[in-house]
This record gives sequence, C-alpha cells and structure tokens, in this order.
Amino acid sequence: MSNIQFEEKTYNTDSLDIGLWKKILSLLGRSKKHLIILGILMVFMAMLDVVRPYLDKIAIDYFAKGDFKTEEIILYAITYLAVVILNGIMVYSFTRQSAHIESGFMQDLRDKLFNKVQMLSYSYFDKTPTGWIMSRLTSDVGRLAEILAWSLTDLVWGFAIMIAASVIMIKSNWQLALIVLAVVPFLAAISMWFQIRILKNYRKVRAINSKITNSFNEGINGAKTTKTLVLEQQNLNEFKTLTNSYRLSANKAAYFSSAFMPIVLSITAISTGFLLWYGGHQVLMQQMQFGTLMMFTEYATQFFDPLKQIANVLAELQMAQASAERVLSLLDEDVDIKDSQEVIEKYGTVFEGKSQNYPDIKGDVEFKNVNFSYIENEPILVDFNLKVKAGQSVALVGETGSGKSTIINLLSRFYQPTSGQILIDGVDYRERSIGWLHSNLGYVLQTPTLFTGTVKDNVRYGNLNATDQQIIEACKMVDADSFINKLDKGYDSDVGEGGGKLSTGEKQLLSFARAIVSNPALFILDEATSSVDTETEKKIQNAINVVLKNRTSFIVAHRLSTIINSDIILVIDKGRIVESGKHDDLMKKKGYYYRLYINQFNQEVQKQLLG
Amino acid sequence: MSIMGFIRKYLGKLWVKQVLVFLIVIIYTFGNLFSPLMFSFIIDNLIEGKQITSPIFLFLTNNLGGVEYLRNNLWLAAIVLVLVNVVVGLCIFFRGKLNSEISQQMSQDIRNDLYNNIQLWPYSTLSRSKAGDLIQRCTSDVEVVRQFFSGQLAEVVYAVSITVFANVVLFSINSSLAIYSLVTLPVLFIVSLLFFKSIQKFFTRFDETEAELTTVMQENLANLRVVRAFNREKYEMDKFSIKNKELSKIDFELINHLGFQWGVGGSLSMAQVLLTTLIGIFFVINNQITIGQFSVFISYQSMIVYPVRSLARLLSNMGKMKVSIERLLEILNEKTEDIESGKVLDIKGDIKFSHVGFQYDDGTFPVLKDISFSVKPNETLAILGPTGSGKSTLVHLLTGLLDYTEGSITIDSVELKDIQKKCLRKNVGIVLQEPFLFSKTIYDNIKISRKDADKSKVYAAAKIASVHDVISEFSGGYDTLVGEKGVTLSGGQKQRIAIARTIINDCPILIFDDSLSAVDTQTDNEIRKAIKSLRKKCTTIIIAHRISSAQDADHIIVLENGRITQNGNHQQLVNQPGLYKRIYEIQTAMKEGDINE
Repeated sequence: MSNIQFEEKTYNTDSLDIGLWKKILSLLGRSKKHLIILGILMVFMAMLDVVRPYLDKIAIDYFAKGDFKTEEIILYAITYLAVVILNGIMVYSFTRQSAHIESGFMQDLRDKLFNKVQMLSYSYFDKTPTGWIMSRLTSDVGRLAEILAWSLTDLVWGFAIMIAASVIMIKSNWQLALIVLAVVPFLAAISMWFQIRILKNYRKVRAINSKITNSFNEGINGAKTTKTLVLEQQNLNEFKTLTNSYRLSANKAAYFSSAFMPIVLSITAISTGFLLWYGGHQVLMQQMQFGTLMMFTEYATQFFDPLKQIANVLAELQMAQASAERVLSLLDEDVDIKDSQEVIEKYGTVFEGKSQNYPDIKGDVEFKNVNFSYIENEPILVDFNLKVKAGQSVALVGETGSGKSTIINLLSRFYQPTSGQILIDGVDYRERSIGWLHSNLGYVLQTPTLFTGTVKDNVRYGNLNATDQQIIEACKMVDADSFINKLDKGYDSDVGEGGGKLSTGEKQLLSFARAIVSNPALFILDEATSSVDTETEKKIQNAINVVLKNRTSFIVAHRLSTIINSDIILVIDKGRIVESGKHDDLMKKKGYYYRLYINQFNQEVQKQLLG
Repeated sequence: MSIMGFIRKYLGKLWVKQVLVFLIVIIYTFGNLFSPLMFSFIIDNLIEGKQITSPIFLFLTNNLGGVEYLRNNLWLAAIVLVLVNVVVGLCIFFRGKLNSEISQQMSQDIRNDLYNNIQLWPYSTLSRSKAGDLIQRCTSDVEVVRQFFSGQLAEVVYAVSITVFANVVLFSINSSLAIYSLVTLPVLFIVSLLFFKSIQKFFTRFDETEAELTTVMQENLANLRVVRAFNREKYEMDKFSIKNKELSKIDFELINHLGFQWGVGGSLSMAQVLLTTLIGIFFVINNQITIGQFSVFISYQSMIVYPVRSLARLLSNMGKMKVSIERLLEILNEKTEDIESGKVLDIKGDIKFSHVGFQYDDGTFPVLKDISFSVKPNETLAILGPTGSGKSTLVHLLTGLLDYTEGSITIDSVELKDIQKKCLRKNVGIVLQEPFLFSKTIYDNIKISRKDADKSKVYAAAKIASVHDVISEFSGGYDTLVGEKGVTLSGGQKQRIAIARTIINDCPILIFDDSLSAVDTQTDNEIRKAIKSLRKKCTTIIIAHRISSAQDADHIIVLENGRITQNGNHQQLVNQPGLYKRIYEIQTAMKEGDINE
C-alpha cells in the first residue's frame, strides 16, 4: 500500500471563480457581522482619506490669504484635529474588526476541519500524506482568513476612496477631474496585468526555495553517506546549480516587480503634467485657486494606491483559489465508514456517545465470509472465516503483506468488509456504533507513540475517569512503576513531544498501562519488532501476559513466547488461513508454521546474544 | 570570521553595486523633493511674479526662455515634471534591480558556503549537531540577512537622506518654521521604537502557541489509531479546540495591539502635519513665507513622517540580522575536515591494525582498546559482537570517519593518517547500518558515486545486491523516485540499494557495517553468495549478527567491550570457549532439537 503515490490535484488560477468564494463566504458564521461592520468602517476611512487634501486646500486657498476671522481658524483647527483623531480611531476600529474576522474565522474553520479529520475513514489517511492534511489546517486556513479579514475590505476601501475622490474632484473642477480620471483605465489594466505576473513569479521563486531547503535537509541528513561515497564535490555542484537558478529567477521576479512602479509613476506623472499645464493656466487666469491645483495633484497620486490595492486583491483571490478548493475538498470529503442513522439515534456519535445505551460486551468474535480489498480487484482477504470465543487469544503469524494487519484493521472497524460480516457477541458490528466498539477496545501499537503531556495524562488516555490510584496500579502491573518513579516528577513528569523523552521500551510499557486502565473486552496488540534491552524485554513479555488475561485478543505476533502462549495460532498467507491450532500441534505438522518458527527462533536467539 | 569579516566577505565584491544603490537612493530623494518645489516655483515666481531665489530654478528659467515665456508656455514646466518623475521611476527600477542582485548574490554565496562547510564537517561534529537546528539556520537566518540587503538597508539610507535633505530645504526657506515642524519628529521616532519593541513579545507568544497547536495536530494524525481505538475523538477535539481558541485569542490581541499602534502612529503623523499647517498659516500672513513655500512645508512633512516611523522597525531589524549572522558564523567557523591533502596511492587492500585505540575527545571511557589484527588482500574478515562493543567504530576508523587516538593502522603498509581521505574513501567502500538514499531515481542513486556507469553496470550491481527484481516490480522501475515524494522503501530494500551503489565502485576494500541485518535470511544468503564471488577481487569486512554470515570468512574476530576477545577462523572458534561458540552451539542445538521433535 505504501507504493500508492499521492497525487496532488492542480487547481485553476487563471480566472476568478465567484461561486467558490461564495462557498467560502458561507463558512463565515459569527465573523459575518464583523465583516459587515468592517465594510462600513472602510467607507468612512475612505472619506477621511479623501478629506485631508481638501483641508490642505482650504489652508492654502483661504487662510493663507489672511482674510479670515479668528473663529474660523479655530473651527478649522478643531475640524482638522477631529479628522486626525478620528483617523486614529478609525484605523484602530477597522483593525479590530479585521482581528475579529481573522482570528474568529481561522478558529472556526480549523475546528471544523479538525472535527472532519476525526471522522474521516482510515482509507483517507492511507492515500493522503499527513503533511498534506497539516498544511490544509495551517497555511491554507491562514491564507483564507487573511484574505477575508484584510483583502476584501481593501476592495471596499479602494472603490470607496476612488468614488469619493472623483465626486470631490468633479464638483471642484470637472475639466481637471477628467484629466485625472482619464488615466485610471490604463492604470487599472496595467496594475492587474502586473500583479498577477508578480504573484506568479514569486510563486515560482518560492518553489525553488523549498527545493533548496530540501537540499539542505538531504545534505545534512545524508552527510555521513556523502563522506563515505566521496560525493562532496558532486553534491556541492548540484547545490550550486540550484542556488544559481534560484538567484536568477528571483532576480527576474525582482526586475519585473521593480518595473511596475516606474511605469505607473510615469503614467501618473503625465496626468499630473497635464494638470499642471492646464490647471496652472487656470490659476494664472485666476479662474481657479492654487490650493485646488495642489489638491488635484494629491488626488492624482492618491488615486493610484487604491487601484494597486484592488489589482493586488484580485490577483491574490485568484492565487488563493487553490487554498479555497483544497480546504473545501477536505470539508466535503466522504466518510466511508460511518454509523447508520438508526444506530446514531440509539448509541450516539463518536463525539457524543450515548453510553447508557451501550450493550454489555462478552467478547465473542466471528468473521463470516469476509472479503476485503483495499484497491478494487486486488483482494486481500477472500472468504475469510474465523470464530473466536470470549477470552481466547489469537496469534496471527505470517509474512509481511499476508493480511495480518488487515484482519486487525477490520476488527477495529478502521475498514469494513467489502462483503461478509464481522459479528461481535453474535451481532453484526455495524448494528452497533463505532463509539461502542472502540470504547470496548484496547489497542497497543507496534510503534508506541505517546502524546505531549505527563505520564499520568498518557495512561489516563485509556480511561478518562481513571483515578490516580488506578493509574498507578496499572503501571505497577506492567512493571512501569519503577522507571516512572525514577523520573524527576514521577507520574507528573513531562514525556516530551510524542513521548520523545522516554525510551522505546518505556513508551511500550506505558502504552500497555494505557490499555489496562481502559479495561477492554477486546484487545489488539501489534507487536513491535524493534529490539529493546533484555530487562525491558522481560517486562514487556510480562506486561503482555497481564493484559491478555481473560480478554479476547488478536495479536500480530513476533515474539515466540507470545505465539506459544496464545490459544489459537493462525498462520496467514495471501489472505487465507493456511494453518491453525496450538503450537505443539502445528510444530508436529512440520509445515508452514514450523518453518516460520525455526526462522523466528534463530533470529531471536541471535538477537539475545548479540543485541 | 567576525561579523564585519562576514559582511566584508559576502558584500565585498558587490561594493560597486551597493554604492550605486546609495547614490540612486539619494537621486531618488532629490527627485521626490523636486515636485513640491516645482509647484512652489509656479505659484510664487510664475503666477505671483516674485523674485526667483533658488539657484536651480534660476538656472532652469534662464535656459528655458525667462519667466514671461514660461508663464505663457506652462507645458514646459509640465514636461520637466514628467521628466523628473521618469528619473524617479528609473531610480526605483534600478534600486530594485540592484538590491535584488546584491542580496541574491550574497545569499547564494552564503548558502553555498554553508552547504559545503557542513558537508566537510568531521563525522564527530556532524553526529553531535541537530539537523533541524542547522536547517533552520541555513534557511531562516540566511533569509533575514537577505531581506536586510534586499531593501531594508536602502530604506534606512532613504529615511536618513530624506529627513536630512528635506530639512536642509525647509531650513533654507525659513528656519523658525522648520524648527517648529522638527519638534515632533523625535517623539514620533521614539513612540514607533517603543511600539515595535512591545509588539515583539506578541509575535513570540503567537509563534509558541502556533507550534503547540501544530504539535496537537501532528500527534493526533500520527496516533490516529490510538485516538480511534480508544474512542478519544471528542477528547482530541476538545484538546485541539482549547489550543485553537488560545491561538485565536493571541492572534486577536496581536492584531488589536497593532491596530492601536497604527492608529496612534497615524494620528501622531497627521498631527505633525496639522501643527505645521496651522503655524504655517501665520507665517504666510506675516509674509515670512510665500504660499508656494507654505505648500512645500505641508508636502515635505507628509514625506518625512513615514520613513521616520519605519526607521524604528529597520533599526530593530538590524539587531535581528546581527543575531542571525552570529548564528551563521557558528556554522561557518566550525572546523572542517581536510579531505584533499595526503598521499594518493593505488590501494591493494592489505590492512593492518596494531594496538589501535579510540576515545571520543569528550573524555569518556575508551570505545576501542588495543585492537590488533591484519587482513591480506582479497581475504575476508568477519566481526562479531554484541551491540555497543565497538564494531561500527572500528570500521569507521578504517574509512577515516573517526581518527584513531592510539596505535597504528596501515593500508598497504602506509599509515592511514597519511593517506588522502578522498583517496581512502574512494577505495574503502562501506555500506552503512542506516543508509541514506537521496531523493533521486533508484537508477541515479545506484550510480551516484560512479557517474560513468552505464545501464548494464547499474543492473549488474543491483543483481548482486539482489534488489534488481524488486526494482523491476515498481511501476516506475529504475526510474522510481526515492524519498518523500517517491515510494517508501522498506529497510531491507534501502539496505540493498545501498549495497548496490557501493559495490558498483569496485573498491579494493569493502565493508558491510551490519548491513545485512535488515534483510530476511533468504536474501541475506543470496547477497552473501554474490559477495563471495566478489571476494576474489577485494578485501571484505563484514560486521555480522548472524553466525551464518560470518562462518565462511577467512578470519573472524569477536569484539566485546571494545576489545578483541577471540580471533581465528570458524573451525578454530567453534572449538574454543567463548561468545562465538556459545552462539554457534545454541543455534545448532536449537535447530536440531526442533527437527527431532
């Protein structure tokens, strides 16, 4: 299965997909209110931005002439001061609204996505790399939140300021207004053309940049190999080629974006030039005052900012479409394995189980004519039948890829049979909820991974209601108590990220303790192949014996002691049971199991002496 | 290398471009300062007919036909304005172009040096360094330096030059009004600096919380089975929600704080303009300045405030860059291994260890002690011993990855320390315990150290390593990509590809550092058979876990606690008490016992 290569879908970024953005807007929820307030604030903000050049004009045209009353200048000063203060308040208020939107939308969407991830079927994770899911929840969500919080409002602000400035200009002097407005279409077209290309260029640059990071990664992690194969020069040359192409394309992108401003500036300058020529003439003829001319030149330059913003937002929206589609695709992903409506009504969901309705479990397990395939037409299990009585332990042995793990995956309902039934206590497990099954299931993984937190937290994971006493007892049962007490804070010691502060053996012991506090009727153990020191090995074997007692258990077994002690040994080959029975009987047969056993045994003995 | 040395090394050869950037920034400043003066000239001198005082405009006027002519032909002024703006535009373009060229060239050189330095670090330095930290430095810290030279430095120069030149003009117009308009600048600067410092702690908190949230996600995804099997979906959801809410709260606080700063900063800047405007009005009324000069004051004020505000941010970035350079220097100043000097010889494969000892320089107990043995060309040596007995260290000495601290090792009678490391490693092929494959195709991985190898050679090596059939089964065959973006190979498969890429070199000395333990017994058998056919051509050292891997060797040494406890061939060793015999006996006895059952 590991050979299935994950293929990333490519998304269209060449045109704006309005429908898609409507869907994203519909996810706004409580942030909607803030977005509306923000829109209104931005219109006010635009007004204030437009008022300022007008205030300067009054100072030059009216007050500087000296022909004014004292009240007038006081009123003017107060108005100006009000604009100054209002401006500050506006900036603060709209940022606050943006903050509400960004943080709120991000939080809600992340929660939604995480919730979805908890429900998705196991098959989804087999074909989707963890990194992919992670970046949906982090960078894509961040990007969308940013766009909603900042970019959309820039659009509002941009249009508002352009409209307001146009109105003032046309009212003051329509001829001059025309000169300023004449270049707007050109500026708009050029801005849009440039912004899209600038963003695309930087994307390319970023892609090469991540290659460089990968190269560093390889260079550092593979340094020992590099030394032994004397690849230093060759690696450096490859790396240099990469950094060189990075430099060249980054420079190209920079030339391109550096050319944008000068072109815009020249166009604006032409319009200012006309203003000066025509407007200056009017001032000379005393048809207009100098301050008005000043105001117009300021508007001419001020006009450009919103234009650039709008172009930038539109370009960003196009680029962010991929993020939007990826997030939506994760939200819309089908959940293959879920409970039927009736079952949910009776037993609740995995999040809110109605545990008062959960039937008691005995632990009889039956596989009835089970067929299963991960990929269509590539059957893993064919007409598989198995009956296990409550309390029996089943050891599954066989080579890698024989179907051992599949049996466990089916029993845990991570997957469901393609056809056939799995019965627990005689009832098809699909008639009872996933929550019910899992609350009766204990699971110890091949590679024991813990969660960030204390030792106690990790053991309590098996049973959230477990008392400290129960936790300590469980740890004593698996002989983990002694090492825990040696830790600096005992049961309250931090285990580190993923349990990184503990050794593999210690992590394994804790995962047994975790299973014990949950006191499950069904127990699944995927035995580790990794070697631990002899003392820990003994403790683990002891832990296994403790856990298996009186429980129906399925074990993907690697240890001979585990295999020999189990009630039934199933030898699986190519999805079928080729041999089954007790150790002694199987050994007498001298068949598949016998050969497997010999191999296993030799390996184990050598490991003991040499490991 | 010091920080200054660092800057000299990487910026040094680009100094012409850097000086050009400074010049361009100053021209750009002048260009920006010109337009308001132009308007002032038009109102004061052309329209109001006042005496021209500015030498520049006096010169322009005289050459363009006098005041009267200009007044009737305002388009000339318009053209000058357009031209000046075109010059400003060109300045922007060239500033951007040069800044990018400088910063990209610098970061390329820095990256290359970092990469090469790390590659050439001695094995011991590599083993004690943390990959994550190194990668972080090679990417983020280089980026900090790049950003500074890609524009921030030019911004600093611009902020200073516009403040200075604008004030020179303003003071020359009217020094008392200029002083009034200067007073608030320091306030603006200090407030910005304080704001910038105070926001930093929010960013730090945000980063920390984000990392915590990522951990929750990562652990959830990594432990998916545990989560599901224990029905802890709700618990996980709650855990995530709490952290998510916390992050959201910090994000809100951060932006809210920023908004406050932007608001106050913006108001202060505008207040500065307001102050100048109000005082300016009275200066105009009292005929101390003209209308045109008044407009210059207003325009310049708006031009100065933003750079002054950003100066605070830029200064703090300089501090960040200093830290980054220091972190990079730690990498660049680390001692590297000399693989070039030493004797180059045609190695036959005669190995001799006499009284060799090894100890790490951190003063811990010796890993190897008094190791003596010899292997003749084309012979095979097997090393057996428990984990931690020093087997790997021993073969690392032979490849020069570690330097022996006692005794002497010779290859073809030449002291190993005198042999060029490059030559040594080309002749001593070693398959490491945990081989690293590069993210290239399998084909390229096999021929990685032998560029001239053709298809048949690659296939032959893969066949010897008994991995040819496995590769052929992949849908992409030999062109299948290895690594993150390609197939996930099992430990055994990786191991065998590593064997193929090593034996393709036809080294006179071949070492298998426990590289057969990850493959199953059957494959182990096949590979050993294939190696046996090679043995006639090279001296082979096998570190083995299985007796069967060792028993055919010409010599076998048993290593325990860093010393040789047994030495001989299979026949001799099974007949003397010791670890070898114990392993052998238990193994055979068990086998027989099973069969007799």
